[in-house]
Amino acid sequence: MSNNAVGPVYDAVIQEVINAVRVDFEENGIDDRVLEDLKTSWQHKLSQLKVAQFPWEPKPEPPQPAAAANNGPPAPQAAPPQAAAGYTSLTLSPQVSAQALSLPGALLPNSNGMGMGMGMGMGMGMKPERGFVQADPIIKQEPGLQGAHPYSPANTARGTAAQRAAQALESQYGQRAAASINAIHSGMQAQQQAQQQAQHGQRPGQAPPHLSPQQQYRQGVAASIQQRLQQVPQGGSSNGLPTSQVDGSSDSALPAVMDRVAIDNHLHAQIAARARQMEGGGLMLPLKDISSLPSLPGPRQKVDGTAPFDGPDDDDNEEEDEDAINSDLDDPDDDRDDDDDDDDANNMMLCMYDKVQRVKNKWKCVLKDGVLTVNGKEYVFHKATGEYEW
Amino acid sequence: MATGATNFYDLYRHGSLGSSLTDALDELIGDERIDPQLAMKVLTQFDRIIAETLQEKIKARLTFKGSLDTYRFCDEVWTFLIRNVTFKLDNGGQTVQADKVKIVSCSAKRAEDK
Repeated sequence: MSNNAVGPVYDAVIQEVINAVRVDFEENGIDDRVLEDLKTSWQHKLSQLKVAQFPWEPKPEPPQPAAAANNGPPAPQAAPPQAAAGYTSLTLSPQVSAQALSLPGALLPNSNGMGMGMGMGMGMGMKPERGFVQADPIIKQEPGLQGAHPYSPANTARGTAAQRAAQALESQYGQRAAASINAIHSGMQAQQQAQQQAQHGQRPGQAPPHLSPQQQYRQGVAASIQQRLQQVPQGGSSNGLPTSQVDGSSDSALPAVMDRVAIDNHLHAQIAARARQMEGGGLMLPLKDISSLPSLPGPRQKVDGTAPFDGPDDDDNEEEDEDAINSDLDDPDDDRDDDDDDDDANNMMLCMYDKVQRVKNKWKCVLKDGVLTVNGKEYVFHKATGEYEW
Repeated sequence: MATGATNFYDLYRHGSLGSSLTDALDELIGDERIDPQLAMKVLTQFDRIIAETLQEKIKARLTFKGSLDTYRFCDEVWTFLIRNVTFKLDNGGQTVQADKVKIVSCSAKRAEDK
């Protein structure tokens, strides 16, 4: 017996197996080429094992489970950003809700025509809100807009929006507008400050360029918003937190197109800013986002909202807990034992036994038809006798 | 095939030849080029052919000595863990040493009975 004999024998086995299953392949309507590929692949893998001069016999199988496991995690891993995004928008939403929620109706008609500045990022960032901000009317417009231009056009749109808002206020309400603006400012500044603090804290690099203009717009637009709230109380928005249904009714009652445009643009700008925050300055893959969003249940986002790291922490904790509970008792020990066996005992003999005898601590066995792997080399034998002491 | 392919041990699938075949089949299944059922048929054929090949075409003999570390007999399968093994190959008196060898051995009688 020698290592040299193994090659031809294995080749014969491969050849025979391939020939034996040819019928099965044909019955299954599988192309003959697939069978040839199987043979080539088989031989290739086998030669790889040989070339490596390592007994990889037990190991080639793990790669499949490992690969499968690798495919699994990406979805969970994609979750943390989502959770984080959910957090930011959730913390912001109470402050912004007065603005954002009071005018979804206004946003609806305009977002089609005027909201083309909405970029992918905005659309992405907004989706997480769906669960809890009740901004459905806004979001539902997004799918159509996601293919629109990137974020930058919004900047120019915002400039005109602010001007229009100011003009509209002046032209329509004159002095009254100033009064209401002042009144609003006192109420809104608290919100703005809180919001800006949140933005400062959560938007490290990108905050500066957007903050100052946003501030201005927010003031101007907040005024118009508040006016609308005052002037259209019939719409049911008197409490400042109307539902989407109420917004629908207020839509028809909106007096000025310019206002709507301005507010629309402003909201878009705000949402864009928040979208950026949610992204954390990074890029979210649209596909990932789209695919992972449906699978991301509301519960996760709802649970979060106390700390920015809730999502990841929760996940980690859960995983750790699960692992701890299960593995502390069973897995590590078993795994280690198995690993020890497998790693150290790369040498393996697979065979049939004819006889296994024991006299006291002396064992004698007769084995046959075996495949032996020792030190990275493989041997085949028809018969083997072993004697060993325990 | 007609000899009843299911009557052979799938023991040898764990060897290098079997595991490389399993890998190759898994790839084809992953690419959806073959059914898992077909892969199982291939493996049962492999079980039969390698058993027959080892039985009929191999004449080599070997002896080995060592100290038995662990033994186990379960479901008619002997598992030995042997340390400090010396294999003696009958062709040319070649010897091979190993610190540790795991032997998994199924009953030859049972295979014949089947």
